[in-house]
Amino acid sequence: MLKKIWAVYIRDLKVNTREFITLYLLLIPIIFAFVINALAPSINDTTVKLAMIEGDNPEQVEYLENFAKVSLYKDIEKVTERVERRDNYVGILPEGDGYYIITQGNEPAGVVDFTKALQALYVLDAKVEDSTAEIISFGMDIPPLKKMLVNISILFTSVLGGMLIAINIVEEKGDNTISAVNVTPISRMGFILGKSMTGLILPIYGSISIILITGFSHVNLLQMMLIVLSASLLSLLIGFVEGLANDDMMTAAGSFKMIFLPVAGAVAVAEAVSDKWQWTVWWIPYYWTYKGNDAVLSESATWPQILLYTGIILALSGAVFLLLVPKVKRGLESH
Amino acid sequence: MITVKNLHHSYSRDEKYAVKDVSFEIEKGEIFGFLGPSGAGKSTTQGVLSGLLQLQKGEVTVAGYNVKHIKNKMFNEIGMSFEISNVYNKMTAKENLNFYRKLFDVETREPEDLLEMVGLGDKGNIKAGDFSKGMKHRLTFARSMINNPSIWFLDEPTTGLDPAIAATIKDIIWKEKKKEVTTFLTTHNMHIADELCDRVGFIVDGELILIDSPKNLKLQYGEKFVDIEFVKDGEPIKESLSTIDDKDKARIKNIIDNYEIQTMHTKEATLEEIFIKVTGRGLV
Repeated sequence: MLKKIWAVYIRDLKVNTREFITLYLLLIPIIFAFVINALAPSINDTTVKLAMIEGDNPEQVEYLENFAKVSLYKDIEKVTERVERRDNYVGILPEGDGYYIITQGNEPAGVVDFTKALQALYVLDAKVEDSTAEIISFGMDIPPLKKMLVNISILFTSVLGGMLIAINIVEEKGDNTISAVNVTPISRMGFILGKSMTGLILPIYGSISIILITGFSHVNLLQMMLIVLSASLLSLLIGFVEGLANDDMMTAAGSFKMIFLPVAGAVAVAEAVSDKWQWTVWWIPYYWTYKGNDAVLSESATWPQILLYTGIILALSGAVFLLLVPKVKRGLESH
Repeated sequence: MITVKNLHHSYSRDEKYAVKDVSFEIEKGEIFGFLGPSGAGKSTTQGVLSGLLQLQKGEVTVAGYNVKHIKNKMFNEIGMSFEISNVYNKMTAKENLNFYRKLFDVETREPEDLLEMVGLGDKGNIKAGDFSKGMKHRLTFARSMINNPSIWFLDEPTTGLDPAIAATIKDIIWKEKKKEVTTFLTTHNMHIADELCDRVGFIVDGELILIDSPKNLKLQYGEKFVDIEFVKDGEPIKESLSTIDDKDKARIKNIIDNYEIQTMHTKEATLEEIFIKVTGRGLV
């Protein structure tokens, strides 16, 4: 039985690598991860970028580099050119015994004020060690934006598995091959399991790729897999239904997009709505997936918490499962 | 090998039967032709026998398995060639067969050998999507043999094939018969049925009208005809007359005695003519 399930999975994988849209879906997690790395700031990134003249005052450059990203240019003209580009570079240029600051004019006020304060601290020779303030940390050492993007990507990946299943089913329908498989000794459940493997392995490989590439490899992988796999069960079920309901690949992918609405809703409410309104999306399994993964990525997740979220996801998915499985079985019989 | 008793099947699950009260038996090694026009119930019967459709009413055993409670291992005994080709277009011919063979629990044939048999030996590495309709049909036919089936369901196996390839397919069916493979052949091509089948069954409107061997049917229902072309008053005339009917016999004599005969051929009744005579229906 396992051999046959594996054969169905390998066939799907082989065909998926031959079609642009499915190959793209397979590579999306890796693309996402690199895009997140490129766009999201790391915890040590500063928001202030300074342009200064090379060799003018190395001591000053060394001081400022402790607090900002400093880029050096050979003369005033080059520094001015750099500042005039679209991003938020601020120039610090010498004039007589002092310095002046040049800006493009559209930088956030905080960036300009921070530059001015840095320059003043340098002139006053202030040291970090001179500070008498005691630092009490809440231990949040992960950039929130990056964590959110990684979480959304993982959620997206668990949904994509279902989309891939839908496309594979559409292919079987288009080629009329389900009837040919139905006269072989593989059971209907075996065939469904073989097809489902794509919807499970893509989220596993996808989420692992994302956390490895984006630097979250230290999170509890087992906790994450539990959450990801339970969310994928619902996605793959919807994938089967959409695959059986649609006759061409693009329509199937288009219909499947509907699933992104509750996904987006769940993320938006989890991130932007106050606690008293969170209950409005409790019915969406992906809300619990997002919450669970958020806790895992923050390394604050406890096993009881993860098991609770997994239980909720499975219970909600189970209700959908009971509703849709007869439809899937009927669909496979009629093809 | 196949026993069917009082088979009924209704797609609407009511009294509107697509197949009603069909009963027959097929012996091991026999080629049984199931003949009838489109919509007669051929594919429905085949669907129930092959397990593609659920048995609703009646008793059906295939290779000793009760089709009411199908066991997956029954399919190790069955080969099925579909009327409409159904192969994976994005996979090569060889990949198609290699994937399919992995779904069986029994010893399977080598894909290369099967492709060679159906004249696709040099096309193994070409995607099925790039095949012509006839090539896909041959690939579907080849696939049906991969598990060395003891019961072989063939649905219009030579449809859309050129005469040379159709002859190859017929040869393969003969060879399999020699191995005692039982064949259930569904077709509306009476020539194929006439050439290949040990017995044929005529089905019309879901009812099995009769079962017999083509030879017996010709003896029982067939009339010999004579096609005569002669000249009467300077005009060429063509007539087809029975050699059994007294009136026609007298007419033949009259023509020979009184007119200039141009051509005269005897003709045996075809299975198609017998079908029309027995059922009152054409085959389209």
